[in-house]
Amino acid sequence: MRARPFIAIMGNPWVSGATALALTGLVAAASLWLGGFDPLAAFASLVRGSLGSPGAFLSITLVRAVPLILTGLAVGVAFRAGVWNIGAEGQLYAGAVAAVWAGLHFGTLPAALLVPLVLCASALGGVIWILVPAFLRIRMGVGEVITTILMNFLGIHLAAWMVRGPLQEPRGIFPQTESIPLSAQLPVLFPGTRLHLGFPLAMGLAVLAWGFYRWTVAGFRASAVGASEEVARVAGAMDVNRVLTGTFLASGALAGLAGGVEVAGVTFALYEGLSPGWGYTAIAVALLAGLHPLGIVGAGVLFGALEGGAGAMQRNAGIPSAWVSAVEAMVILSLLAVGVASRSRTAGPPTTANESGGIVAGTGGSDEDPGHA
Amino acid sequence: MTTPPAARLGNITKSFGRFPALSGASLEVRSGEIHGLLGENGAGKSTLLSIFGGRLRPDAGSLEIRGTRTEFGTPGDAAAQGIGMVHQHFALVPAFTVLENLALGYRSSRSRWTLPIPDLRDRAARLQAETGLRVPLEASVERLGVGDRQRVEILKALLIDPSIILLDEPTAVLAPSEVDTLFGLLDRLRAQGRAIVLVAHKLDEILGVVDRVTVLRRGRTVLTAGRDEVDGPALVRAMVGEGPVADPAVPDIPRPRGGRVPPGEVVVSLEGAPTSGLNGPLEIRRGEIVGIAGIEGNGQGSLAMALAGRSRPPGTRVRLPAHLGFIPQDRTRSGLAGSMSLVENLALALHRDPAYRTSRPGLPSLLRWSALRERAGELMERYGVSGPGLDAPVAALSGGNQQRVVVAREMALARDVLVAENPTRGLDVASTTFVHQQIQSLSSTGDRPPGVVLISTDLDEIMALAHRIFTIVRGSLREVPRDARSREEIGGLMLSGVEAV
Amino acid sequence: MPEILALTAFLEASVRLGTPLALAALGETVTERSGVINIGLEGSIIAGALGSALGAIATGSPLAGLLAGVVSGTAVAACFALFAVVLRTDQIITGTAVTLGGLGFTGAVYQARFGTTGTALSLPTLDAVSFPGVARIPVVGSAFFSQPITVYLAYLLAPALWYVLFRTPWGLSLRAVGENPDAADAAGVSVVRTRLHATLVGGALAGLAGAHLTLAHTGTFSEGMSAGRGFIAIAVVVLGRWNPLWVLVAGLLFGTASALQFFLQTLGLDLPYQLFLALPYALTLAALAGWVGRARAPAALARSWPPQQ
Repeated sequence: MRARPFIAIMGNPWVSGATALALTGLVAAASLWLGGFDPLAAFASLVRGSLGSPGAFLSITLVRAVPLILTGLAVGVAFRAGVWNIGAEGQLYAGAVAAVWAGLHFGTLPAALLVPLVLCASALGGVIWILVPAFLRIRMGVGEVITTILMNFLGIHLAAWMVRGPLQEPRGIFPQTESIPLSAQLPVLFPGTRLHLGFPLAMGLAVLAWGFYRWTVAGFRASAVGASEEVARVAGAMDVNRVLTGTFLASGALAGLAGGVEVAGVTFALYEGLSPGWGYTAIAVALLAGLHPLGIVGAGVLFGALEGGAGAMQRNAGIPSAWVSAVEAMVILSLLAVGVASRSRTAGPPTTANESGGIVAGTGGSDEDPGHA
Repeated sequence: MTTPPAARLGNITKSFGRFPALSGASLEVRSGEIHGLLGENGAGKSTLLSIFGGRLRPDAGSLEIRGTRTEFGTPGDAAAQGIGMVHQHFALVPAFTVLENLALGYRSSRSRWTLPIPDLRDRAARLQAETGLRVPLEASVERLGVGDRQRVEILKALLIDPSIILLDEPTAVLAPSEVDTLFGLLDRLRAQGRAIVLVAHKLDEILGVVDRVTVLRRGRTVLTAGRDEVDGPALVRAMVGEGPVADPAVPDIPRPRGGRVPPGEVVVSLEGAPTSGLNGPLEIRRGEIVGIAGIEGNGQGSLAMALAGRSRPPGTRVRLPAHLGFIPQDRTRSGLAGSMSLVENLALALHRDPAYRTSRPGLPSLLRWSALRERAGELMERYGVSGPGLDAPVAALSGGNQQRVVVAREMALARDVLVAENPTRGLDVASTTFVHQQIQSLSSTGDRPPGVVLISTDLDEIMALAHRIFTIVRGSLREVPRDARSREEIGGLMLSGVEAV
Repeated sequence: MPEILALTAFLEASVRLGTPLALAALGETVTERSGVINIGLEGSIIAGALGSALGAIATGSPLAGLLAGVVSGTAVAACFALFAVVLRTDQIITGTAVTLGGLGFTGAVYQARFGTTGTALSLPTLDAVSFPGVARIPVVGSAFFSQPITVYLAYLLAPALWYVLFRTPWGLSLRAVGENPDAADAAGVSVVRTRLHATLVGGALAGLAGAHLTLAHTGTFSEGMSAGRGFIAIAVVVLGRWNPLWVLVAGLLFGTASALQFFLQTLGLDLPYQLFLALPYALTLAALAGWVGRARAPAALARSWPPQQ
């Protein structure tokens, strides 16, 4: 019953996801072997470093997974409705700035008030950062791919300015902010670990998103707009702009929240380079999950393990940690390749763009033009 | 020894996936003739022409040009063989000027480093003088109307001085008087000894101009004959197959008596710019079929969207009922989402109906998927939709079945009014008859039957079905008087419209 | 006259910082004019940077390094084109993956080759070439005409590419492919081959931009040193309205904005230079919105051909 947006071309998400991961494993092993490394030792130390102990799993893998799940949800929500938000990185920074500002400015409030306030501020920061692309897309018909990328740089510059200007720590030496007070920090779940409240929060949001698409009218509308704006408008008589507006705002809020949760749960202060590109990795996370909200949790944990284990892999097997980014790229490319393979298996007649009255990937023959048939 | 034909395509087969588009099609054209290529929608005419013009590669078959066996190639190869093609959907770049568009297909000057613009300007001017195809050469194509764009397309084909000219349904976008001009030009080109292939699916239009005809049916050549050797009924028989002969354009259905407006409350009323030529608003009553006839591109699309409540053009006021069905012209592109399942496609239109959602205060409305499934199963059975099931993506359904899904869904919604824009375009005879019957029975059964707005470029369809007829010219409606319900008079109104007021 | 010296240094830095942006953006202009948006440009730039460093070290010749950079950038673009043009995968997603992969692979190769200790490489660099005469013009002369060879390449490529795009049959076909691939196909133009070539040209120039970074700008390689320039180049293309001449100007403008921070520091002005850094982005957004002239993208940009569904 779930709507299948464009990802439907990849066939069953479980099958294509598993195939892509297997393919990635092969290519990754081959690249290590070619580079003169031992793939088995690499994988072993990667797994040990990320999953080998409860401490590693809770404090490294799951902590790394939180911003990936939240930005993954931001990208997933957007892509599902056909919004190409490539700007989660900038929205994350805007959210982090807003969170730190709120945490410092309202530092005297009790934790019960301050923590929600900080999180709401970060979501709002993300929303503000997506407003311009949303406005340009919805009101002026300017595609959001380029505008959200531009906003990424503005977000990064905003953070850079904040940590050297208005929010710089009082001594004015380091390019970073003061730490937010304890009452603004997310509580740790298990004493002795670093796993914070952000993880159950991200899980909860994923479950909410799943129910939203599964059962609600609004969720169905979003999926319909993602399947085809034209069809949603003409056959569904939907207010497409309203759906798009809601999608932009929700996506921006989720990405902003990722920044807020990272600041309030892990770093407690803002500095340049807070995110190692989570906003871009999020695209791989969301795609690997087939845009399914619960799948995004799984893919986020997987990528968290990958990034979390990279350090151990470098220490123990001498594999450069940067290689993990290459593996993430391989995951995306493998997914795309699997999609191409499954597409060519079920190939229908070709279609051409400038025709009217075409049959959608049709197999029947009541239309005349070759592109239709 | 006789001269070989200009071209001969033998036993062409071509499949798209599992669907065979051509299975043994042959075509022979001679120099100095206009050759009509006839067939129903879906018979494979465009596919055969695309193969001839090099845009598609056949699975099997042979090609001879002027008696020499030739390999099928690219559009460039075809052009080098002297084959010029006029596409149905113009192959023009809107952002380019006319001259740049002409330069795109032009390969004679051979310089890699300069565009042959001055040379082209001379040649185009000469061609324009010769053919009367006048268009502003420096204008950007996106600013040109449909007729001008077709003239550019023809100029582009003539620029390579082709010995064979292929025209794919060139009359579809033209008004009757423009059709005459085009045929006059084709006459002159024939007199120059060129071979011309003319595709059409409206028989009567081209019978006067062709020398010979080839008829395709289901991807196969079933008849090739001289114009004098066959009559209209024989051609129709060849096009639709044996059995009772029916004019494909006008299926055998009971006709309404023109002008008798069944009584009923007004369900739709539209005022504003489109009705400036009327004495009052456009009103649709229960139980009546209102036909709106016009040549393509005269504002039918925006009128349909306004009548269906999908858009609100400025200066137009529409009063609409609660239960409205809308069959858009581009049924499968704007009516169905191919990646969504059949149930989901039904939900697209039904999700607004309170019967299919549960609302509790303070909670978001939820969809009742079980009720939607039930309704989907029921409708698919009633409308005879066969396919891989309710949960399979509709893209897996055959074209005919996709059409039925849209018709079924919108008829189920149309308790007050049905707005249909070219609902039978692209359908075969059986499906066309099915849709016509459904429209008629919808508007005539029950105590409170809905009203129907039928917007169509097919005048015969409108004359067969509508109680009242309007014409639309440049977005403006005019009512056809009851005593003027003849093909010729309405055709005249479709053309003149605005100026005649 | 310290102000004059500072001004000269500022202009010189503007050109030097703007050149890699202009080079990459010139290539991307060709790519986008064919209807392909290559977000993987960043991957080509960083590959060009590393490739040129390795090439220069191996041969000892900065010119050979330059060539290696171009080859590396082209190779990464070929990977992108294999997926997005030949296999028709989504251009945005593929480009993101290629950027991630390019950054990851170059980082891994660099760490494997030179270790992670962080000692800076020192490379044979491209020397500045002064044009006799014009280079002596006060302030402007040395800023524009006493620069490494890559800068002059950018000056030359802008008008050359303009001519190719707008005055040759190949350029006409390429633009037709980017506007309406169906029409181009009907006219006998091979859409896939044209897009392939355009993407490779883009990759070659992005590789050149990367080589400029290592051989002419910093004299070393560091991980992630492309620093988002691939994405910035995409903004430059928009601001330059897909016209090579304006793209060169826009690239230098972006360079000026980044050079401003050093200029302000030398003048002792305590202005938030991030605002100046942000300025060209805001200008690009305004251009997209149509507030500073209309920027119209090629109609078929980012659309696969033949289309998917």
